[in-house]
Amino acid sequence: MKNVYSVAVVGVGGQGLLTLGSILGYACMLSGLDVSVGEVHGMSQRGGSVIVHVRIGRNPSPIIPVGGADHIIAMELLEAARYAHYARKGGVLTANDFIWPPPLSNYPSREEIIGKMKGKELLFYLFNANDLSNRIVGSTVSANIAMLGFALGVDQELRSIVNIKHVEEALLEHFKGKVYEVNKELLHIAYNEGLKHAEKK
Amino acid sequence: MDHYLLKPKGSKVLLLGNEAIARGALEAGICFAAAYPGTPSTEILEVLAEVADECGINVEWSVNEKTAFEAAYGAAISGVRSLTAMKHVGLNVASDILMSSAYSGVEDGFVVVSADDPSMHSSQNEQDNRWYGLISHIPVVEPSSPRDAYKLTKEAYKLSSKYKVPVILRSTTRISHTRMPIELEDEVFFERKCKGVFRKDYERWVLVPGNARKRKLELMKTWKTVIENEGREPFVSILNPGLKKAIVASGIAYSYVKEALDLMNALDKVTVLKVNLPVPLPVEPVKKVLEYADEVLVVEELDPVVELQLKSIAQTLGYKSRVIGKSVVPENYELSIETLYKPIADFLGSPAMDHWISIGTVKTDPPIPPRPPILCAGCPHRNTFYILRIAANKAGLKNPVFTGDIGCYTLGYQKPFETQSTSFEMGGSIGVAHGLSKSTDNPVIAVIGDSTFFHAGIPPALNVVYNDSNVAIVVLDNLTTAMTGHQPHPGTGVSATGKRTRRILPEKILEAIGYDVTVINPLRVKESVSIVTKAFENYRSGAKIAVVSRMRCALEALRLSRKKNIILPVYHVIEEKCTGCMACIKLTACPALILEPGEKKPRINPEICAGCGLCATICPYNAIEVKNKPSMNWETTWWD
Repeated sequence: MKNVYSVAVVGVGGQGLLTLGSILGYACMLSGLDVSVGEVHGMSQRGGSVIVHVRIGRNPSPIIPVGGADHIIAMELLEAARYAHYARKGGVLTANDFIWPPPLSNYPSREEIIGKMKGKELLFYLFNANDLSNRIVGSTVSANIAMLGFALGVDQELRSIVNIKHVEEALLEHFKGKVYEVNKELLHIAYNEGLKHAEKK
Repeated sequence: MDHYLLKPKGSKVLLLGNEAIARGALEAGICFAAAYPGTPSTEILEVLAEVADECGINVEWSVNEKTAFEAAYGAAISGVRSLTAMKHVGLNVASDILMSSAYSGVEDGFVVVSADDPSMHSSQNEQDNRWYGLISHIPVVEPSSPRDAYKLTKEAYKLSSKYKVPVILRSTTRISHTRMPIELEDEVFFERKCKGVFRKDYERWVLVPGNARKRKLELMKTWKTVIENEGREPFVSILNPGLKKAIVASGIAYSYVKEALDLMNALDKVTVLKVNLPVPLPVEPVKKVLEYADEVLVVEELDPVVELQLKSIAQTLGYKSRVIGKSVVPENYELSIETLYKPIADFLGSPAMDHWISIGTVKTDPPIPPRPPILCAGCPHRNTFYILRIAANKAGLKNPVFTGDIGCYTLGYQKPFETQSTSFEMGGSIGVAHGLSKSTDNPVIAVIGDSTFFHAGIPPALNVVYNDSNVAIVVLDNLTTAMTGHQPHPGTGVSATGKRTRRILPEKILEAIGYDVTVINPLRVKESVSIVTKAFENYRSGAKIAVVSRMRCALEALRLSRKKNIILPVYHVIEEKCTGCMACIKLTACPALILEPGEKKPRINPEICAGCGLCATICPYNAIEVKNKPSMNWETTWWD
C-alpha cells in the first residue's frame, strides 16, 4: 500500500453516509491501520449533497484532494457524477443504481450519467443497493451497508487493506442482535456480488 | 454500561474529535459541563450527557452560551474542574463573561471549547476565534488532529490550573468532525472533586473599577509569564532545528504541512515549528527558529493570528528573516493539502509535481443540478410556511416581511416559501423586526424556532411590547433543537441526561409579556390557515399577536413511529385524476415528490414520504390519496 488510500463516500444527507464512513473507519482500526474519517454535520446534512473523506494511512490529513480518491462510493447517481472528479485516473467508482433528484430541478437521466461515466478513465461499477437492502432487510435503510460490501468486493486493493472480517466486526459498533445478523448477511451477499462483478471486468 | 467513551486505559477507540475532547476532559477530572448546541461543537456535551450518570458528573444543556459559560465558570471559581463548549459564534454570545473571567480567573481548571467552522459548513460566518484570546488575554490551545485534541485537552486543564486562568481550546470542523483511532492513556473512573468551596474575596470576584484595575495587572503578569515559560512541548515543538528555511504551522495546518512535505520528500529539508499554543505565541521557540532561518512561511487556517505575533517578535528582537504567510496561504475557507501544496513547494523551490491526476469533471446534459440542503419530507416548517403565506394573503397583509432566524427553518428563504427574508444571528428575527417595523410601512412577521426563542428571542420580544412596534411573532415549535441533532430545551420538559424537568411553554411566556397567542397544529392545514388568518387580521388592526406552531420534527416523528410500531400514512398520486398541473411540487418542494425526465405527472417515492399530507391538501383535483392503512393513532407521533 502507498502512503494513503483515500475513499470518498458521497450521496444525499440522510442516506447513511456517516454510518458507512464510520464502519469503514472502525474496520481499518481493527485491521491495525491508522485512518481519519472526515464528516460534515448540521445544516449540510438536511437533504444536501454530502462527502465523507476516509483516508487510510499513517496520520493522514483529513481532506481528500480532487484527483486524490482511489475509490468513490456513491449512494446516489447524481452525486456520483457531481463528485466524480475527486477520483484519480484509474481509480474505482461504485454507484448505487438510484436517482434522487433535488425538488424543482432539471436533471440528467440515468442513461446519460452512466454513458458519461463510462467515457472516463475509471473502473465504474453500478449496483442496486436499494433493491438488495429491500429484499434482505425489508426497506432501503441498509443500502449503505450493501454499498460498502459491494465496494469491498470489487476493489482488490481496498479489500487487501481492510479485511471483510473486520468490517463484519465493525458492524457491531452500530447494530445489535437481530439487526446485526441481518446486516451481516446483507454485507456478505453484497460483497460476493462485488467479487463476481470484479471478475467480469 | 459499556459506553465506548468510558473504555479503560490502553484501549484503542475510534473517536470523533469532539468525543476525544470529552474523553480528555473526563480524564482531566471535570465534574461539571454546560453548553448550548451548535455545529461543529455539539457532540462534546452530547456524549458527556450520555455518560454523566455513570461518571457522577453534572452535565447540562443550558439555555444559551452565556448561561452555559457562567454555569461552568461558577463551578471553576469554587474549585471544581469544568468545561463549556460552543460554536465560534456562540462565544460572541458569551463574550461579556469571557472578558471578565480573565480578570477574576479560576480556582481550578476551566476550559472553554470554541469549535470554529472555516468554510461555513453550517454557520453564518467563519470568524477566527483565536482573536478572542488576544482581546481577553486568555491563552488559546489549538490541536492539529483529533488525537492531538485528546492530549491537548488534558494539557489545557493543567495550564488553566497552573495559572488559575480560563483556557480556550480552539477546534475547527475538521478536528471536531473527524474520527481517528485513539489510544487511551488514562482512566476515567476515579474520585473526582465534585464539591467545591466558594471563598469570598471581594477584591477578586467583584469587578468594580478599583478591583478591576488591580486584577488587570495580575492578568498581564500571567500573560507575560505564559509567553516566556510555555514555549515547550506539547504546546510548541521544533522539528529539524537550525535550518535556513522554516515553516510555522498552527493547529490543523500542521497536518497538511506534514503531508505536503512527505509527498515532496522534504520532511528533513526544512525546520518545522508546530504551534499548538497560538495565543499568546511563546517567544523562546520563535527565537530558536529565527536564529537560523532566513525565510519563514507561516501556515494557519483563516486569519494571520500567528503571523502577526511572529512578525512582531522578529521586529522587536531585530531579526532580519523574511516572514511570509497570508500573502501566499489562502485566508478564506478551510485549508487542504490541495490548496497548500503549491505555496509550500514554491517556498522550498521544489518542482510542482502532479500528485493527483483527476479523471476530470463528468459533464452531463442537462448538467448535474445543485443540491442545497432542503426541508425534509414531512418537515412541519413546510406546512407552517405554506400556512403563513396563505393566511397573510387572506388577511390582506400587503408585502409582508418575514424576518428569520437560525435553525433548519432558515431554509425557508428558498422558493417556494420565501418566509425568511433575513437571518443574522440567534434571536435576530424579533430584534430586527422591531427596527424594520419602526422604520417601514411593511407588516413584519418574525419567524423563530423554539430553541432559538428560549436562547435569545425573549429580550427582543419584550422590546417589541415595551417600545411598541407592529411585529407579529411566529414560534416554530418542533419540540426539539433539530438543526444540531435533536437536543432537548426548556420547552421539552426533559434535561440533557434524559430526566424530567419542569416544561416551559413559549405561549405562556409570550402571554405573560403581553401578546395574544394562538397555538396551531400545522398538520391540520385548513384549520390552521383560518386560525392564523384571524390572528393576522387582529395584527392588522393593531393587536400584539403571536402564533405558536407546534408539530414534532419529522425525523423525530419517524423515529417515534418506528419505535412504537405506528404506521404513518403514505400518499400516492392517482394518475387518472392528476392533470399534471404541478401545484404539489411547486408549492411544497417536497423531496418525496418526483418528476422523472420526460414525464408529465409527478409520483411520490413511498420510501421518502412521511405522510404529512400537505401535497394532498394542496392538490386542486384531489388526485393525491393515502394508499396504505395507517394506525388509528398515527397523529400522536406528530403532536401530543
